[in-house]
Amino acid sequence: MSEALYVQLLDLAGGALLLTAVVILWRRKLTAIVRVFAVQGFALSLLVAVLAAHENDPTLGGIAVGLLVLRAGVLPWLLRRALAAAGEEQHETRPLVNVAASLLAAAVLVLIAYAVSQPLVELFPSAASTAIPVGMAVVLIGFFALVTRRHALSQLVGFLLMDNGITAVGFLATTGVAFVVELGISLDVLMAVLVLYVLASRMREAFGTTDLDDLRELHD
Amino acid sequence: MSALGIVGGVLQAALVVAGSPLLVGWMRQIRARLEGRVGAGVVQPWRDLRKLFRKEAIAPAGTSEVFRFTPLVLVGSTLVVAAAIPFVTDASALGPGADLFAVVALLAMGTATLALAGLDTGTAFGGMGASRATTIIALVEPSLLMAIFALSVPVGSTNLASIVHSALRNPAQVLSPASLLAAVALLMVTVAETGRLPVDNPSTHLELTMIHEAMVLEYSGPDLALVELSASMRLSVFLGLLASLFAPWGIATSLDPVPLGVGVVVFAAKVLVLGTAVAVGEVFVAKLRLFRVPELLAGSFLLGLLAVAASFFLSRQP
Amino acid sequence: MNLVAVGLAVATAAGVVTAVLAVVVPSRFHAAVSGIGTALVGAAGAAAGAAAVLGQPFALSLPWVLPLFGVSLEADPLGGLFVAVAGGAAATAGVYGIRPARRDSGVRATSVVMPLFAFSLLLVPVASGVGSFLALWELMALTSLVLVLTGRRRAEAVEAGRWYAVMTHLGLVAIMIGLMILVAHAGGDSFAALRAAAGSVPPAIAGTVFVLAVLGFGSKSGILPLHAWMSRAYSAAPGHAAVLMSAAMANLGVYGIVRVGFDFLDGARSDTARWWWIGALLLGAASAVYGILQAAMSSDLLRLLSFSSTENMGLILAGVGAAGLFASSGSGALAGLALVAALLHTLNHSAFKALLFQAAGSTVEATGSRDLDELGGLRPRMPGTTAAFGWGALAASALPPGTAFVSEWLLIQALIHGLGASGVASSVVLPVAVGAVALTAGLSVATFVKAFGVGFLARPRSDAASQATEAPATALVAMGLTGAACAILAVLPSLVLPGLGRVAGSLTGAAGTTVDGAVTLELSGVAGSLSPLVVGVGLLVAVVLAAGAVRALAVRRARRAARLWDCGAGPLTPRMEYTATSFAEPLQRVFDNVVAPETGVDVTHPEESNYLVELVEYRRTVPDRIERRLYRPVLALVSAWGSVGRRLASGSIHQYLAYGFFVLIGLLVALAVTR
Repeated sequence: MSEALYVQLLDLAGGALLLTAVVILWRRKLTAIVRVFAVQGFALSLLVAVLAAHENDPTLGGIAVGLLVLRAGVLPWLLRRALAAAGEEQHETRPLVNVAASLLAAAVLVLIAYAVSQPLVELFPSAASTAIPVGMAVVLIGFFALVTRRHALSQLVGFLLMDNGITAVGFLATTGVAFVVELGISLDVLMAVLVLYVLASRMREAFGTTDLDDLRELHD
Repeated sequence: MSALGIVGGVLQAALVVAGSPLLVGWMRQIRARLEGRVGAGVVQPWRDLRKLFRKEAIAPAGTSEVFRFTPLVLVGSTLVVAAAIPFVTDASALGPGADLFAVVALLAMGTATLALAGLDTGTAFGGMGASRATTIIALVEPSLLMAIFALSVPVGSTNLASIVHSALRNPAQVLSPASLLAAVALLMVTVAETGRLPVDNPSTHLELTMIHEAMVLEYSGPDLALVELSASMRLSVFLGLLASLFAPWGIATSLDPVPLGVGVVVFAAKVLVLGTAVAVGEVFVAKLRLFRVPELLAGSFLLGLLAVAASFFLSRQP
Repeated sequence: MNLVAVGLAVATAAGVVTAVLAVVVPSRFHAAVSGIGTALVGAAGAAAGAAAVLGQPFALSLPWVLPLFGVSLEADPLGGLFVAVAGGAAATAGVYGIRPARRDSGVRATSVVMPLFAFSLLLVPVASGVGSFLALWELMALTSLVLVLTGRRRAEAVEAGRWYAVMTHLGLVAIMIGLMILVAHAGGDSFAALRAAAGSVPPAIAGTVFVLAVLGFGSKSGILPLHAWMSRAYSAAPGHAAVLMSAAMANLGVYGIVRVGFDFLDGARSDTARWWWIGALLLGAASAVYGILQAAMSSDLLRLLSFSSTENMGLILAGVGAAGLFASSGSGALAGLALVAALLHTLNHSAFKALLFQAAGSTVEATGSRDLDELGGLRPRMPGTTAAFGWGALAASALPPGTAFVSEWLLIQALIHGLGASGVASSVVLPVAVGAVALTAGLSVATFVKAFGVGFLARPRSDAASQATEAPATALVAMGLTGAACAILAVLPSLVLPGLGRVAGSLTGAAGTTVDGAVTLELSGVAGSLSPLVVGVGLLVAVVLAAGAVRALAVRRARRAARLWDCGAGPLTPRMEYTATSFAEPLQRVFDNVVAPETGVDVTHPEESNYLVELVEYRRTVPDRIERRLYRPVLALVSAWGSVGRRLASGSIHQYLAYGFFVLIGLLVALAVTR
């Protein structure tokens, strides 16, 4: 693969990663959010695949395939099932911070991500590491969604966004996390999702909604 | 100011005046066909204008010069913009003073004048339209400037001719992520500024939803003709701006008749394609609630900012 | 002949003589005398300032005038610029203040103090020692305080005076501490000594001084967070005093920040200065957005204009901050550009704000109301004032061919070209700043469309508005002069740009001019050009062409007067018009989280049935949120202290004497112990 094409594809994958994170913040419809999340999983695996092709590293290629299956296949499928079970609530109706404000917050987060990831970029100066801020921005945006969304499912997506971002930063920074580590992380994520999924369905049985603010009632 | 710029400016102004109603007619025709209607034909807007020009002008009670001069200012400012942007030739009629910010601000000036005219009538409709229109331009401005900022980063200037030249010299630049994001942001801004769906419905006369139509409710006769003409000119100017910034190919660089002719044809074709795309898109969307419009514009602002950020986020071409 | 010296001498003489004359002339004439005198002071000052900008040296030391420090004056280009602006503003404010003998000429104290205020405004920027500077600054503060207190509406004037007195002195304390720290470091009171010691100020001290200067001077300009006095004082002061305060006094805050930042602290050359410049830039951007948001929500014409001052001063501070940021990271050309943008905006703001305050003052005088919801329909009754306000509104709203457009364009150019100028810091801060400036520009359009459209066009919304009469001829002349100045600045800014370039160059060390060209402004160092004259002429030609085409094409018949469209339900009443409150409602909803408006709807039902509605009352207030969040707790704390103090003050003389006695003993013991 030529250097120019490599950089172009890397840019494309990075851009798609960031854009999908933003779109997830933008949309209210949960089915659309899940769909965009799947696209992001695809972008992430594309990123890793590009790195694998550039490094000629078959293990990395294998990881890319694994990521594709997990992030663009299994997790969205689980989310969709949870959504189908959620019944009426197909919209993130009242986020704690309104959509326009969260988009502006995302703008600030992107700039912060750029500022704070400069030391990392300077640590390994390469074409791949220049895109580290993208991963960092996805992490921050995911955290923001986790904090400000009410619906359990969109919070879950926020959590997964964070994880996508962390994975991206990991690969961009070192070009190749050990396979075992990535496997472990992925399994952790899968476990976490399953636990949250179960929690959400139990909540719905108990309260009839998945609005997390209702958990306060347990306190009283 | 070069001869090419002046010739181009006159040519562009004439072309925009003559062609804009046809563009609007074309877009209406497309919508009509897609919705299963026959449609009134492409030249219907021109027939309407002719009819309006034959009617007498009226002065609604209590209105002042602001109301009377607004149609002229609207057409005038749009004409200047039509002459200034390099549509057909790569030189501008305003010479080196053709700055993207200035051009955009001139168009905003037109909107502000129209809002004043709406307020001048003293009717509830006029005030309502003016209030909504100024709210929208106030929010459009940041997205617009951010998108321009993003475009200027690779070029190092906001001069229109420089941007066009840079895109002509380096076609790959147009396909860079920054440029694509800026294009999407500018497209959203265009939709908001020209009052198309999903921000405003150009064919509505329902009180609760109209913006542009509410402001111009008191106009009739030649005044209304000018207002309608300038609205359609704004649409083609904005679409032409998008075309010139992101697909400047075919623009004439010399005074020979052949490149000039090619420039004219290519410009018309580009605007027609963009207009078709907008019209087709409109069939599939519903009008947004007014208070959802800020979300759309915040999104477009974010895209503009990402476009700026992309210039230092993503690795540069080696 | 030294024009600076002559100008300042004439201004001094005119100021003092006018003040004395205003005391003695019969009460019908004092306003006229004071107006003519103030105009003279201003004209002389403008000439002196212009000469100083062009490089005429001037220095004067009068050691016997003030004890301890004496008065020392020296004119340099930076000071000269602010003298010239203050002079111009004073000239038009003076003409505006002249009242024909048959009209009510207001309070005599106003007429006496006005020339003195104008005179102090001219001298502050040429003071060349810390002692003289502070003394003149205080003279300016006191004269303006008296002017606020002489406002027509007593209760409001007293309230505004109280706010103003406290806050201007808080500002003075901040400035004084800052300058005293510098004096202690430099070991001399004169500005020359401070300048000489600039390079050796430790970063921590320099940072403290800069923060104090931004707080203190910023308060004079209405920069957050010490802005709360401004809308009160501008609204309460007599019309011509408000003109002078907004168009000249507010600028001196900018002068102070530039003087301290670039001159005394050498902020252009020290690398550690970058952080405070970024702070200034962000504070300026925040002030601009907050100011224009409050203005956009306001239905009170004068409050709207005051908050628009906060906005414009914020933009200027942002420009100054950007200039410092670029200069401290070594981009001289960009720094010069940003500073020129800030200075040009200062000039422009003075011009259009003077015009707007003149027109608004006349309106308030003619109608007795400054509530936009009660105005309207002034076009047939006050055509001159309406035209003046309309032109001022265009000038203020950053749209071509208006005045502010050119300076905001320069500011944006400086910001976008600086993206890579100082590494990570600038690439994070500058996009935010551009966004803020752009939002400000957009909101200012909405604000001024509202102010002009609702306040002057359409039909009168109250009896007072329908019985308004045109302002006196002198006021119209003043508006004409200011309007002409706005027009010149709008289409031919190249007349003043070389002078501003010289000022900026002397501060940032940028060589040569930053903006060239007579008709087309060419930025040097970065690519960018704009031609306000060509745009203006082009617009005119296009409008004439369109008018000609309409005459040729359309049927030539006289306009027929017609009824407004009323859905066939009878004539529309003025109560059905959109008001300023309803106009701002969509924006208020959009920025609900930021401005936190308080709304209330009361529905009154008739006795017979709850399903019928008799009256619906809608109330909305948009409180100054910063004032509420920041000032309330401080004021509560102060009053808590006050009640503690009251317990100590029991009224017994013996107790008071005992306090003195105990303090004396305590001090003596402390001395004895520490010795």
